[in-house]
This record gives sequence, structure tokens and C-alpha cells, in this order.
Amino acid sequence: MGAFEQLYRAHGARLKSVAYHTAGNRQDAEDAVQETFLKAYRGINGFAGASSIGTWLCRICINACYDLVRKRKLEAERAEPREPRGAPQPQPALRAQLDQALARIDPRRRMVFLLFAVEGMKHSEIATILEIPEGTSKAWLFEAKRELQRVLTEKRP
Amino acid sequence: MIFQCGDLERALRTPDLMPDARAHAERCDECRMQLSLWTEISRLAPALHEEWESPDLWPRIRATLASEPPRAVRGRWRVHWALAIAAMVVLAVVLVTPRQSAPGTSRELLTDSALEQVQQAETAYAKSIANLAAVAGPQLERSPSPLAAAYREKLLMLDSAIAELKSTAAQNPYNAHLRTELASLYSEKKRTLQEWMNDAKRK
Repeated sequence: MGAFEQLYRAHGARLKSVAYHTAGNRQDAEDAVQETFLKAYRGINGFAGASSIGTWLCRICINACYDLVRKRKLEAERAEPREPRGAPQPQPALRAQLDQALARIDPRRRMVFLLFAVEGMKHSEIATILEIPEGTSKAWLFEAKRELQRVLTEKRP
Repeated sequence: MIFQCGDLERALRTPDLMPDARAHAERCDECRMQLSLWTEISRLAPALHEEWESPDLWPRIRATLASEPPRAVRGRWRVHWALAIAAMVVLAVVLVTPRQSAPGTSRELLTDSALEQVQQAETAYAKSIANLAAVAGPQLERSPSPLAAAYREKLLMLDSAIAELKSTAAQNPYNAHLRTELASLYSEKKRTLQEWMNDAKRK
């Protein structure tokens, strides 16, 4: 358990941020991070050691987020509309615009942009996490930025 | 080169063309706006990193992990070690069988004998891994490479899992399943140390 606490201290903040941008709110992000550590605990023997544990955890976290997003979508289809969980934070104008624009671009490109430009990961790490070639990661980053540029230009009066 | 608005996309992909793009943007409002937005996106992106205090999260995770049963070991090593330990137990049973016919010999004695052999094998194996760790350890600790960091993290996890399982097995020494799991973790540690030594030799 001590080792897992160390992992949480080292990687928890980044995982929460990635989860927040994928799941859409803080409560779901925390649920996804909890699920990540549970899956890591159950699957530690499956960790090959070829990549870093941070990369491995990030991959589990993204998959946990996708599962959660699917679950929430199903719940939303069945239930009445509800208030989003977690209070919105006050944001400076362009940062808020960029945040909103990010939600509108292709999800795969968004993920590369998030991991590279927001979380500061390397293309080699992103390639491992998303199981894509490094060149694809670079290409998707470029396309993400072009898409963001287009969306932000559209929004401007 | 004579830079035109249509070249901007190519310039964004090719850093070598950026000085030309910037020179062109001095005279072209549209390209200047595009170029400035491109730079702003990269500059602002790290600010999208979302951080907040969540003091309840780790206690929640810890409680979830604590309620989990002992970790299941998957993969080929589990099969190999299950077979090896099963063979060891069978061997122990065969060696002790003549005594079974003697009056007053209990079934518990057979189990004790098998357990003793398994424990001896386990101790010898753990000792050989400790020797391997003593050889690989110093270089692994010193190396600043990300690969070494990954190996260190994995070994830390394995040591933690071994300690945890050893304590569970100590409370339930006759549980063959726990012994198999423990053997599998030792084996994984040995394999990890060997992989590191091989990787270190190649570099």
C-alpha cells in the first residue's frame, strides 16, 4: 500500500487533470482516478516495465474516463437532465475560450494536445499511452492546434 | 523564397520556414493574426492543467484497495510456478508416503513436510534474488535514465506486494495458493532484475 501512496503522490495531480479534461468535471475525474488505482492494483503483474509507471497509469486513467463518460451518457439518456457536478471555476477570457474550443475538436487530437501541450508529456510517452506511432502523435498535435485555431477564429467577432 | 499566405500552413509544420512566415506576417494582417493565435494556443495550454485539493481522494482509494482480496497473479509465470510447486508437493507426498501406512501418522504431518520443503525452496530462491539485487542494485540506483526510474518503480511495487503477501502467507502458511502467488512475485522480481541488467549492458 505504501508504494501505491507514493505513486498517488507522484502522479495523482496529472491524472486528475487528464481525467478532468476527459470526464468533464472534478467529481467524475476523482472517480476515474480512484478506478485507475484500483485497476493498477489488480493488474500490477501485467505491468511490463518497458514504459514508466506514470505512462501506464495514464493509459489506465484515460480508459477509466472513457468508461465513465459512456456510463454517464447512458445515465443521462435514462434520467432527467441534472446540474453538472462541481462548481464552474472563474476563468480568464482566452483561457476559457481555449478550454471551450478544446471540447469541440476531434477527441483523439484533443487527447494528444492535452497530454503534450497541457500536461507536458513527450510524444514517445503519448505514443505508448494511446498505442499510436510517434509520428501520428506529432501529426495529431499539429491538427489539434489547427482545429483550435479554426474554432477560436470562428468564435471571434 | 517569396512567402505567400498559402505557405503559412507549411511554415507552421516546418520551423525552418518560420522566419519567412514572420517576415510575411509583418505585412499581412490575416497571417499575423493566425500566427499570433498559433503562438497563444501553445503559450496558454499549460494553464489548462487543472489542479485542486482533494483531501478525501487518497483515503478513499486506500479504503478501496484495502477491501480488495490478495492480488491475483496472471501470466505464464503463474502457470510455471503453479506447476513447479505442484511437482514439489507431489514429490514430497511420494517421499513421505511409506510413513503414511505407519499407525499414528497424521495427514497434518504430510502437509507439514511438504510445507517445509516449499519454504526451504522459497528461502533459497529469495536468497538468490537478493544476491541478484545486490549486483544490479547499485547501478540501478545511480542511473538517472527514465528507463532506470521505471525499473525502480516496478521493483518498489514488487517489493511492496511481496511484503504484503508474505505477511498474509505467514498467517495462513498451509494455503498453497498464497505460496504460488508469492513464488510468482519472486519470479517477476527476478525477471525484472535480469531485464534491467540486460538493458544496462546493451547501453
